[in-house]
Amino acid sequence: MKQEFTIVTLEDWKLLAKDIAKLLKPGHIFALKGDLGAGKTTFVQALAEVMGSKSMPKSPTFSLMRTYGVKTASGIKRLIHVDAYRIETDEDFRILDLDEELAAGDAVLALEWPERVEGWIKKHEKHVLVFSIVQKGETRLATLEQA
Amino acid sequence: MKTTKVLAIESSCDETAIALLSVDEQGKNVELVHNLVSSQIPIHQKYGGVVPEVAARSHVPETVSLLTQAIGEKGMDSFDIIAVTQGPGLATALRVGIEAGRVLAMLSGKPIIGVNHLEGHLASAWLDEKAREHWEYPMLALIVSGGHTELVLMKAPGKYKIVGQTRDDAAGEAFDKSAKLMGLPYPGGPQISKLALEGDDKAFALPRPMLKDKTLDMSFSGLKTAVRLAWLSVADEEGAARETAKKNLSASVQRAIVDVLIFKTMKAAKKYKAKAVLLVGGVSANVLLREELGAAIEKQLPGARYFPSDKRYITDNAAMIAAAGYWRHQLGESHNWKTMDAKPEWNV
Repeated sequence: MKQEFTIVTLEDWKLLAKDIAKLLKPGHIFALKGDLGAGKTTFVQALAEVMGSKSMPKSPTFSLMRTYGVKTASGIKRLIHVDAYRIETDEDFRILDLDEELAAGDAVLALEWPERVEGWIKKHEKHVLVFSIVQKGETRLATLEQA
Repeated sequence: MKTTKVLAIESSCDETAIALLSVDEQGKNVELVHNLVSSQIPIHQKYGGVVPEVAARSHVPETVSLLTQAIGEKGMDSFDIIAVTQGPGLATALRVGIEAGRVLAMLSGKPIIGVNHLEGHLASAWLDEKAREHWEYPMLALIVSGGHTELVLMKAPGKYKIVGQTRDDAAGEAFDKSAKLMGLPYPGGPQISKLALEGDDKAFALPRPMLKDKTLDMSFSGLKTAVRLAWLSVADEEGAARETAKKNLSASVQRAIVDVLIFKTMKAAKKYKAKAVLLVGGVSANVLLREELGAAIEKQLPGARYFPSDKRYITDNAAMIAAAGYWRHQLGESHNWKTMDAKPEWNV
């Protein structure tokens, strides 16, 4: 099933984040697609806030991975924010140890640039939700679907 | 004269680095015996002629190779203390350096100190002799790189507080991603600075977010959208006109980023009555930022000193980790190698 959303203000991101946070369960991979500046990190910030994170996510482009403590009714305790933008090889991605992190059963992964690690996504596709953002001037159009 | 020799290991993100730093009893004379960074060493040299399929961030072979070079035949006798980056960074990358440090501590019986990577950046300014001579707290540091944009108040040795920071993208990332949007090759920061030399920095009106905000925080994420729209607005230009537009947009982007960094740094330095301002991290190589921050301090904070770190120590390196490790040693700290582990989300 494919859902579509229109985002105009920062407040819209937050409302959408609330709805999406309810869908997420431990072990899920929330894959964010969209060009540079589309709002992927902005959306993860909104998601972290509604999931109860005390600190606001910053871009993980350079650090590759950052983890935030959260608390949801579905039992998510950690939001792992990864940016595959700088990932060049499968080996580079393996170093992040994400299989193990997700197997712990208390974490959700928000993954930017999933296109860079298609093989890994394919392997986990049962748990993947794809969130795509397209820029139309100042407005953003977003879609949510299963991988 | 008795010296303290610090062996330092850094492996928090992309780079593997090892340094050996010798500091005299007064902490005045500092000699950097080795300052090795893996990316500066030809790959065939690291792997003995055989180039395997390895990840960009596989620190294990680099650590072994650099350590062998740094401590050589003198082995455990070549150092007195071990300093290793404990965080923040990638857990698996950090653990390579930490494990190496733990083994050295166990075998040598010498103290090991876990260093915060950000404190390392602060200490990079101290590696400069002129800065050491006039080192006086409180100081205000701007740490600015691809992954960091933080304003740190240094109240006393080992007493730091982040008083401002980016809320989204780091300044170095803003340079790189703006360059990417304009189709410039990686790494984009130096490319933008180069093109900016011949561009008009007022040609494009780009936002300077949060200048009116009361806090010392910054934001560079919105710049991407502004740069994309600006670049679209000149999409029809061809030939020389396109090159001019590229130079002008580069100059405008650089000006927008540097304006925000200088404004917030000066605001913080005045607020906390800093006796010196430090400029550290990879983006401190940017000439416009380096020069104009110096000029702003001279004009707005007469009497305050300016310590931009030497360009040799601005990207990730172990010399700065050794310096911070020495600081911590002077404060009487050491850690138990048996229980030492990575702190991926460690703040200063």
